[in-house]
Amino acid sequence: MNGFIAAGIIGISLGAQYALLALGFTLMFGILGVINFAHGAFYVVGGYFTYAAVSWLGLPFPAAVIVAVLLAGALGYVFELVVLEPVIQDYLATLMLTLGFHLILTTAILVIFGPESPHFEFPVSGAIRGEGFYIPYANLIVLAISALAIGAIYLIMHRTDFGRALRALADDRAVAAAQGIHPRRLFPLAFAVATVLAALTGALVTPMLALAPNLGESVLTTSFMIVILGGLGSIGGATIAAFVVGIVEAYSSVYLGGSQGALALFIIVLVILVVRPRGLFGSEFVGH
Amino acid sequence: MGAFVARIGRAELACIVLSVLAFSVPFLTHDRLFYSISNQIMIAVIAAFSVFIMLRMNLISFAVPAFMAIGGYAAAIAARNGLTDVFALMAIAFAFPALVALPLGALVLRLRGVYFVLVTYILSEILQLFLFETPGLTGGSNGIAGIPAATFFGISLGRYEYVLLTTAGILLLATVITAATTRYYGQQFSAIEENEVLAQSLGLVVWRYKVIGFVIAGGVAGLGGYALVTMLLTAHPSSFSSFSGVSYITYAIVGGRTSILGPVVGSTILVWASNLFSSQAQYSQGLFGVLIVFVIFAAKGGIVGTAEYWLKRWLRKRSDPGAGDDLAPVGRSKDAA
Repeated sequence: MNGFIAAGIIGISLGAQYALLALGFTLMFGILGVINFAHGAFYVVGGYFTYAAVSWLGLPFPAAVIVAVLLAGALGYVFELVVLEPVIQDYLATLMLTLGFHLILTTAILVIFGPESPHFEFPVSGAIRGEGFYIPYANLIVLAISALAIGAIYLIMHRTDFGRALRALADDRAVAAAQGIHPRRLFPLAFAVATVLAALTGALVTPMLALAPNLGESVLTTSFMIVILGGLGSIGGATIAAFVVGIVEAYSSVYLGGSQGALALFIIVLVILVVRPRGLFGSEFVGH
Repeated sequence: MGAFVARIGRAELACIVLSVLAFSVPFLTHDRLFYSISNQIMIAVIAAFSVFIMLRMNLISFAVPAFMAIGGYAAAIAARNGLTDVFALMAIAFAFPALVALPLGALVLRLRGVYFVLVTYILSEILQLFLFETPGLTGGSNGIAGIPAATFFGISLGRYEYVLLTTAGILLLATVITAATTRYYGQQFSAIEENEVLAQSLGLVVWRYKVIGFVIAGGVAGLGGYALVTMLLTAHPSSFSSFSGVSYITYAIVGGRTSILGPVVGSTILVWASNLFSSQAQYSQGLFGVLIVFVIFAAKGGIVGTAEYWLKRWLRKRSDPGAGDDLAPVGRSKDAA
């Protein structure tokens, strides 16, 4: 029974990380219609930027996270503005461009930081110990920050003009543009927000797990599964699906062994995609 | 002769001739490195053909490694069980992945293109896990080693020269299948590529042609998998990593998606270049990334499309000086629409 509770706590903690990760991915598809293959690379970039800010510049961890996340956001902003914007209507072209950017970013990290995992640890150690369970403080901090960030995204999307404009663009780009909303001004910002979310996840999670140049692919796969499960473009769906995936992963790794659980999850996602392509929770954004 | 060429298609004929020429590799040299690179290029071309077939309908498939694995493992298992005839093995390597692709394609290709991309990506991940989780059938993380050499009318094809000839034979078959498919269904594929909704409203059962393309692309990838297994003498999960699909997509896109020569040219140049810079192998992915961005951004027809454009322009300028500026670069006119 204790193992059961412990796995549940791990699952919720994983789910919060995944929600943060998948939110950016689903926003990008919902608003821009872009399948962002560079999402995993931005996660890795967030981790390495934070590592560099801590160990090269000597910044304290929270400041390093902020610097890293803002830099990654700026990178995303420029990438959207310069590279994606001219072909933003063509999903195949944007897919290939983000895939190319993923390869470039991953290689750049490899060149700058080398193939070995650097020594990079979460600054807060220790844990709450109870009878049969054990929660590291780091997990709790990440959980809290994830919750805050998810709440902030909800507020931005539903309570600000920026968010309303983005949702209008997601609904119908042509009509929104006719109403005076400038996609060219807002899309790079939306892309930057999504990038910030990926980088923030990377900055918080890689010091707890591991930091390596090639993490992007597995992160990308996880994002894919969550957004398919939650419905492409849906923020609420992605949040719920992230917790579902996190909890299923935690329990299956305890009771089934890692890769069998992953295989089961993959097959569930594939079946859902075929039977209910809009995902379990429908879609808030229409996309394109 | 002219009518014959027109019927088959110039680019298609060129590809078939090139595939036939591939049989000469073992007779040209005894250089092992040249053998190895030629073999890699031939396999890459087959895999890129599989990508190309789907690209003709504006669909990007990440599942090529998955179908290669199905074809390669099916042939390896058959060979381990005593079936060594090279033609039978080729048939198995084509048929098994095609059979898997049929129900999957029928379900998934009714959905929008985005979902197809995601399904193919997840499929190649699933297959990796599946290979590790079924040691009884696929040898798990050990793979299948000690595959007996294939036989050609009783002659063992175990020597490296014969392995090359086998790969050349597989390449020829894959080329003919790809050329025949993209020629025979050329108009339907083009209609889907150009405007799917319009094609559908004009009565084209879009879904059916997509499934046909997917099944054949699966089979062609399976042939590539068999060639890979033949070259390495083992079937191993690492040969079919899901991200290797990205390389095959790169070959097809950089070579050019407008002509069947594209995957051939792209695979040849990129595999050769990767071998040239093999001491910096870890950076080749970055090079691929730069090339993809460049092609999508600046030269949508890829190498072949761009070369065609300049060739046409040059020919027109020669016959009529002053003309030729109105020719739009390949792929550009479609962007504007």
